Amino acid sequence: MFDVAKVLLILDLNGEVEAGRQEAAIEESDPDARVRRVTALGVDVLICGAISGPLDAMLASTGVRVISHTCGPVEDVLRAFVAGRLPDEAFLMPGCCGRRQRVRGRRRDGRCKFDTQGGTA
Amino acid sequence: MSQSSEQQAKDVILDSIADGVFTVDEDWRVTSFNRAAEQITGVPRREAIGRNCCDVFRASICEGECALRETLGTGRSIVNKAIYILDAKGRRIPISISAAVLKDADGRAIGGVETFRDLSMVEELRKELEGTYTFADIIGRSPSMQQLFALLPRIAESNSTVLIEGASGTGKELFARAIHNLSPRRDKRFVAINCGALPDTLLESELFGYKAGAFTDARQDRPGRFAVADGGTILLDEVGDISPAMQARLLRVLQERTYEPLGSTEPIGVDVRVVAATNKDLGKLVRKGVFRQDLFYRINVVRLKLPELRDRREDVPLLVERFISKFNRLQNKDIVGVSDETLAILMEHDYPGNVRELENIVEHAFVLCRAGLIEPCCLPPTLRREADAPSARGKGPRTLKSLETLHIADALRRHEGNRTAAAKELGINPSTLFRKIKSLGLNLPHQDHPS
Repeated sequence: MFDVAKVLLILDLNGEVEAGRQEAAIEESDPDARVRRVTALGVDVLICGAISGPLDAMLASTGVRVISHTCGPVEDVLRAFVAGRLPDEAFLMPGCCGRRQRVRGRRRDGRCKFDTQGGTA
Repeated sequence: MSQSSEQQAKDVILDSIADGVFTVDEDWRVTSFNRAAEQITGVPRREAIGRNCCDVFRASICEGECALRETLGTGRSIVNKAIYILDAKGRRIPISISAAVLKDADGRAIGGVETFRDLSMVEELRKELEGTYTFADIIGRSPSMQQLFALLPRIAESNSTVLIEGASGTGKELFARAIHNLSPRRDKRFVAINCGALPDTLLESELFGYKAGAFTDARQDRPGRFAVADGGTILLDEVGDISPAMQARLLRVLQERTYEPLGSTEPIGVDVRVVAATNKDLGKLVRKGVFRQDLFYRINVVRLKLPELRDRREDVPLLVERFISKFNRLQNKDIVGVSDETLAILMEHDYPGNVRELENIVEHAFVLCRAGLIEPCCLPPTLRREADAPSARGKGPRTLKSLETLHIADALRRHEGNRTAAAKELGINPSTLFRKIKSLGLNLPHQDHPS
């Protein structure tokens, strides 16, 4: 759940090639502080499991593309994202069929962040 | 009893329990998931079974303080721990959980069981009582509300005086409470006073308090709202309605952060954040000379303009859903939602009373509707007449096309004919918008400017 995730895996993508990755702690519990932390890290796309509606909306208002309700091994999710296959039903959390929002258009180059809680992406 | 009939019997028993119940095996895979668990989490049983429990349950403690993990590790049960989960729609549901170890006949741990109770109604009532609203309680995905959400936390963090402008029923007090509850002052009091409802003398004693003997019947000292709100936030609602004399007194408090209770000559210092709200155009009142310009500048440090509901119609379905959920809990009903035709009527109404009016409409429908979907016949008669009458907007039957026309016309009106801005708000390309304007036969506002 992104609302309480403590660690984020940040990937720098150059086209379809991974240019680097690092982990970043996110200690902030206040939603606004979390949004500021994400934007300060220069993130373009956030891939996470569950996320509360207001936090999702706040991130969207700052221009961060949120691919939520995603689960599965991190590397598998990453490969699917790089290949432009996210969102994909194979990585969708239970109960979320057909409720992807705001995930249109092509993947852009840039920073991509994974909520790494509990081995799910 | 065969294994399958034993399983069926277990399912019947679990489904008869009002609390959510699920079990996991040693690999944290969900092995059973009762009906209440489906209702509270919004995850169907068929999708939950066999999945990792944290993908299904999405609790605030999954990452670091998993109750089942703790129970399986220590062997001790956990009882009534208060946490929250996110349901399938991303709503935060407060719950209490209990967890215990499941053992086989030999006493070997084979998994765990977790039961949980939905505390939404308790939380709702607590919020009603204590007014502990946050921005999460303000509903809206429309661009105008998104802009406000982005501003709200920063405004809350600052100590500046805030002016909230908005028509009646747009949620001015909710925003003021959210600002207070997000601010560093949240541990102190939030005090609201409707300045327009009280005559001058009463308002003065309410705001500043009085000393014993200040007037007949003033037998002992009484602190005013400013004193009660010391360290916290005071909401001066309907600030546009106060008299010139009271405006002068308020100006002094805002300038010098001191005031004198009635009957006292000793100034008292006060540390209060002031949030002023009005449904009037204060700038216009200043120009007409009925509101002091210096006070206007004092309170107009940060200004929030709340949109009217007719200017954010796209939020109507979300708001309807929220009110249905609220009244279902408060009235113990099981209304599923609104029918398409009802929603179309609600989308077309202009809401002079804004969100409060919509809430009243849903409450009215709850009186007439027992279960299932809210049909048009459950709506207030005025709304039904409005829907039946040939509309001023020139619509016939409610179709996808008519709703599209309505949305585009509203967006163009909001942006005074600016097609680029309207297209951006609608999330479509300007050329697509232009094609739609032509095909739907829409007339652009007079102040048309293409970009």
